[in-house]
Amino acid sequence: MSKYLAVFKISFAQEFVYRLNFIMWRVRNVLQIFLIFFLWDSIFADPGRVVFGYDRAKILTYVFGLLIVRSIVLSTRTIDVPGDISNGDLTNYLLKPVNYFKYWFTRDLSSKALNLIFAALEAMLIYFLLRPPFFFQQNPAILLLFFLAVFLAVVLYFLMIFIFSTFPFWYPEQAWGSIFLLFIFTEFLAGGAFPLDILPPLAQKVIYSTPFPYLLFMPLQIYLGKISFLVGVKAVLIASLWVGILALILKLLWSFGLKAYRAEGR
Amino acid sequence: MDHLVKDFEVKEKRPGFVGTISSLISAKKTVVNALKSVSFSVDEGELVGFIGPNGAGKTTTLKILSGILYPTSGFVQVAGFNPWERKSKFLKQISLVMGQKNQLWWDLPAQETFTLLKAIYEIPTRRYKENLNELVDLLEMRKYLLVPVRRLSLGQRMRFELIAALIHRPKVVFLDEPTIGLDLIAQQKVRDFIADYNRRSKATILLTSHNMDDLVGLAKRVIVIDEGNIIFDGDLSELVGRHAKEKIIKISLSKTSNYKKLEGIGRIRSLKPPQVEIVVARSMAAVAAAEILQNFPVADLTIEEESIEDIIRKVFRGKNE
Repeated sequence: MSKYLAVFKISFAQEFVYRLNFIMWRVRNVLQIFLIFFLWDSIFADPGRVVFGYDRAKILTYVFGLLIVRSIVLSTRTIDVPGDISNGDLTNYLLKPVNYFKYWFTRDLSSKALNLIFAALEAMLIYFLLRPPFFFQQNPAILLLFFLAVFLAVVLYFLMIFIFSTFPFWYPEQAWGSIFLLFIFTEFLAGGAFPLDILPPLAQKVIYSTPFPYLLFMPLQIYLGKISFLVGVKAVLIASLWVGILALILKLLWSFGLKAYRAEGR
Repeated sequence: MDHLVKDFEVKEKRPGFVGTISSLISAKKTVVNALKSVSFSVDEGELVGFIGPNGAGKTTTLKILSGILYPTSGFVQVAGFNPWERKSKFLKQISLVMGQKNQLWWDLPAQETFTLLKAIYEIPTRRYKENLNELVDLLEMRKYLLVPVRRLSLGQRMRFELIAALIHRPKVVFLDEPTIGLDLIAQQKVRDFIADYNRRSKATILLTSHNMDDLVGLAKRVIVIDEGNIIFDGDLSELVGRHAKEKIIKISLSKTSNYKKLEGIGRIRSLKPPQVEIVVARSMAAVAAAEILQNFPVADLTIEEESIEDIIRKVFRGKNE
């Protein structure tokens, strides 16, 4: 275990080297929140207005909650994996008694820890600037379920990125394309741009049969108490199932990928 | 650990796939036989040099031996392990150093990388300190330990790479072009260090290099590989003996003379008056030298062996003809 503690430490130190980079990324995050906030704020300018079952308070709470969940789930270092594979840096890890998945998961956690600290500060700042109506969940059972859902979302996103990262094993030239595709899907299908329940029922049904909504939307729904506890439990179970399925797919892809690995540039 | 048997048995046939995707419609695949049928074994504590032109399969062999590449067929065993399984116990005993890439954390001081490696290889603190101190002193790098890697020169970085690769005291070390891009002094330092490590740690070392000085200075035994086949495996001196059919007479003339006449004695390899280099058959060297001394105003004369580089070049040329 101390192995991965050391990875955590050096990764944290590394994040601090690119202070400016990091701050820019946080600024981007905040601006994004402002953008979405004002977009919805203007749509709901009339306080009595209800669109897609959301009134002003509800939508602003959703947007605000998104800030926190996003920072935890979507902040990742694992995006460096396709580059590692395509330019041969993976070799460094294969040579060492270290588990490559645990290594990156640890680096993710260190990145998330840093992001969470900043997100909390930003959330306070935004809270005092915009004074959004925010809903504080007080039911401990729901909070527990929410944390579980967030944890599963973290694992799920990690697995998804890793699966999309295996393409360069076979096509080293195509390091990034597949990951960008994943990002776009994530933005829309996970509920990052708008709450998914404003979509027509059929579209919702299709989206719910993919792993994406379990990244952002479902954990938020649980927190906001928009779905009953039992439906929340069901969502957590489905997310767990996806974790199992994706882990299996990744395991297979990875073992085939390593056999095709060409350790290029070395 | 005393009874560690270190026989490398390598019999491989590895057609690597080089899929050239020229267009998305017609995906064309070419099979490249990087290693056709390579067999050799190396004893514990040996230092063996690998020579061959670019693309001969040297690096591929090292990669298979260290468990990075999956051999298409054949049998590989290193220190009693199948490298491909990449067992922790195996990985803790080996190291692969590549001159062209690095494992140091670019933005952080090298010390940070070493601390991480200590944890990854689970090196006990006392042994880690001993190893690090010894390596840092041998390579004279102590004062750079806390400098971010990005600010170091290539030579300094390469030396830290060596430290990083050896911090866990591997019993088997694969070195791929360890002196590439270094200046002469740094090259010599790295060479001395490798020889020293081999002696002190009784480590088995396989080394590839384009730099013939590396081999002359380090390896007694060499394996020559070309187009995926081994074409020579034995003592470096034997390789030289077998292929060195000529000697070089270097003369310096005291006054200008008719250089044309020298052509009668041997092939003039270089002519930079007053220096002349003449290539003569090995058996004729003494006679030729005597003749030159008699007939030309010689200020200085030496008889030298062909350079290893020339001999190796001949080995490859001879094979292709």
